[in-house]
Amino acid sequence: MNYVKKLVFVILCTFLLAACAEKDNSNASNTGDKSTTESGAASSKNELVIAVNENFISMDPHNTGDTNSNSVQETMLEGLLGFDADGQIIKVLADDYSISEDALVYTFKLKEGVTFHDGEPFNAEAVKANIERIMNDESLRLYSRGFSLISNVEILGDYEIKVTLKEPYGPMITRFGVAKMISPKMIKDNLADIPKKPVGTGPYKFVEWVQGDHLTIENFDGYWGGGERVSKITYKPVPENGSRVAMLKAGDAQVIYPVPSQNIDELSKSKDVEVNKVPSTIAHYVSLNTYKKPLNDIKVRQAFNYAVDKDAYIKVVNAGLGLPLDSIIPSKTVYYKQQKMYEHNIEKAKELLAEAGYPDGFDIEIWGNTNSDTMKGMQFIQQQLGQIGVKVEIKSMEEGTLSDEIYGAQTPDDAKLQMWYVSWSAYASDITNATKPLFHSVSFPPNGANTAYYNNTEADQLMDEANSISDVDRQAELYEKLQEIVYQDTPWIFLGVDEVVYGVRSNVSGVLVNPTGGLDVKNAKVE
Amino acid sequence: MWKYVARRTVEMIPILIVISVLTFLFIHFIPGDPARLVAGKDATLEDVENVRHEMGLDKPILKQYVDYMKNLVTGELGTSLTTGLPVIDMFKTRFMPSLQLTFLSMFWATLMGLAIGVFSAINKNKWPDYFGMVTAVSGISIPGFWLGLLLIQLFSVQLGLFPTGGLDGFSSYILPSLTLGAGIMSMIARFTRSSMLETLQADYIRTGRAKGLKERSVIVTHALRNSLISVVTVAGLQFGFLLGGSVVVETVFSFPGMGRLLIDSIAFRDYPVIQSALLLFALEFILVNLAVDVLYTVLNPKIQLDS
Repeated sequence: MNYVKKLVFVILCTFLLAACAEKDNSNASNTGDKSTTESGAASSKNELVIAVNENFISMDPHNTGDTNSNSVQETMLEGLLGFDADGQIIKVLADDYSISEDALVYTFKLKEGVTFHDGEPFNAEAVKANIERIMNDESLRLYSRGFSLISNVEILGDYEIKVTLKEPYGPMITRFGVAKMISPKMIKDNLADIPKKPVGTGPYKFVEWVQGDHLTIENFDGYWGGGERVSKITYKPVPENGSRVAMLKAGDAQVIYPVPSQNIDELSKSKDVEVNKVPSTIAHYVSLNTYKKPLNDIKVRQAFNYAVDKDAYIKVVNAGLGLPLDSIIPSKTVYYKQQKMYEHNIEKAKELLAEAGYPDGFDIEIWGNTNSDTMKGMQFIQQQLGQIGVKVEIKSMEEGTLSDEIYGAQTPDDAKLQMWYVSWSAYASDITNATKPLFHSVSFPPNGANTAYYNNTEADQLMDEANSISDVDRQAELYEKLQEIVYQDTPWIFLGVDEVVYGVRSNVSGVLVNPTGGLDVKNAKVE
Repeated sequence: MWKYVARRTVEMIPILIVISVLTFLFIHFIPGDPARLVAGKDATLEDVENVRHEMGLDKPILKQYVDYMKNLVTGELGTSLTTGLPVIDMFKTRFMPSLQLTFLSMFWATLMGLAIGVFSAINKNKWPDYFGMVTAVSGISIPGFWLGLLLIQLFSVQLGLFPTGGLDGFSSYILPSLTLGAGIMSMIARFTRSSMLETLQADYIRTGRAKGLKERSVIVTHALRNSLISVVTVAGLQFGFLLGGSVVVETVFSFPGMGRLLIDSIAFRDYPVIQSALLLFALEFILVNLAVDVLYTVLNPKIQLDS
């Protein structure tokens, strides 16, 4: 008995030791200056818990690539410009702005009477400090996307600033929307804290972030925009779909994003919960290597598009959520123009294949990551192309390996890729990023994501011209033409555009998801 | 014993160095370019090269290793490639919850496992034995993933007794630790049962009984004590695996532990985090093994560690 007691005692002691150690550890989280809160479910009516599917990567607004981190930052930090519910550009901290005809000079008039959470005033000096940080700090990944093209930042007055570019850059306006303003005091004295506890001008201020567990923000009383808001919001990363749904059902979370497609019906039936759907800018397609046989033949590529039933794709692979991709960009993207879709027609597909010299079909590989939805998508393509005699072999690879296989090819000749089942998403306001990396000949891997090795001089010229001017009518004209040409050339099997789905408790209102998948809870209310 | 512990501790150093070299080489040679993954799909080659330079991945691999080891000696684990935060800060918030979860799982798995094992052995081939063994087999067979979701559905959604996930006080540990400990509990139960059955056949037990010892004393003091050696071996080994193997449970319960951190880091090829996490797991594994060896002597003083 003595020994059993000893054993139990040893285990118990070590556990207690660990428990004590955790107490100290709680102090190690990134806690804001006025932090008094702890993690946990919303206890009062005026608080929200939001469960999202991924961890937050960084709170540095000048160095963020992931949608979830961006959504949280949106509540605390604001840019000169921002995005509305449709993902289009709106003025936020800028009262007004203008772009010169040659698309080189951007002039902003700033809002007056705005202060940062630390009491610093928002003015032209603050904007200059932010823009110069992005321009000059080489460790910022956003650096190379637009801000590296800035040649000069000039203060025209306390509340007016002029930014001059070295060369025109179409997505610059979106970049100004993405680049949110950080307190200049923080940039000067406390750079290391920016990724951990940012200070901005937004309606909410940072409270604490315990990596992997939760991030808490609270209402900022001095917000320039006024208005009533939820007093505290806690974000929790919950990658497991079932757990996220359970949290919403149990009331442990008031908002979950996204809702897994298999749970939509079940949740929709509950009176305590609402499920909302929003068309996104996430386009699914199969990239076809147009550089190599047999996909270099347009008839083969067209045959593939006729062979695949887009409606069935959405039903089977996407649980009925989504719309067919009827252009090279999703309908929420600026300058979108609907194209005449390739209707599902097996006979026509077979004819085209025969005309191309493959009456009996051929063998081909499709690549994709190991995600179960990707697998389902690839199996769907396999089955559909099987109907016209094309035997598709599925090769699914872990994301890192896949990325190496695709971007490891230095020239089109090196590329082993035949078909890639993938998706792409760009800001709704940024058509350049929705086209140039995918269809311009300068974007062949490893220099971009033109994995179809699509090469069309006319398309290149259209993109180049549209990118170098600020005339929106002319841009619309150019992009309409581009959509027509590329859609006809079929470098992809055009599949579908996702609808993003989020769930809220019935007593919560004012929660929005924009087409890019960003969750907007700035105006959320709990009844 | 202390001499033995000291010697084993010193021996850890070369083992850890070898492990550090192997893990360093392993993670650098698996396919997947962290610079590309961090820069994103729409990054140009120039973007990727900028990121690579910023991460220090353009240096020769030997230089990268030497830099890493230099930092390690000074207690500096580097900076995460994805979050830009010091790795040590990320570990600070993740390590203790994982360790506590493991200890709690081990604690109740050992207690329950021993109880079921002993109870089954002394009731061999009777219904309590069948019941115990069905429980044990279920614990091993039910995947942790499914068991976790089942417990959430029952205890969190339906009964509202425990949180659905996250880390918010002691109650957050209950369901994950039950899920994590189920497999170990089963294994300990089965080992205890077979070990007890074997011991109960031994001559000295028969002698004890013949001398008129109380049955309780025979079971607990004599039989269980001798059975514990093999049980401790199994439990120790499993414990080592538990520390790094709680990935599934941590994912299901959105538990902010090391397992989830490791998985996230592998997806991003976050070398400094993966490298340090693996080294930490290795260190834990070695320490647990040492603890098991020491426990042998506590259970059976005849075992001489120094020999």
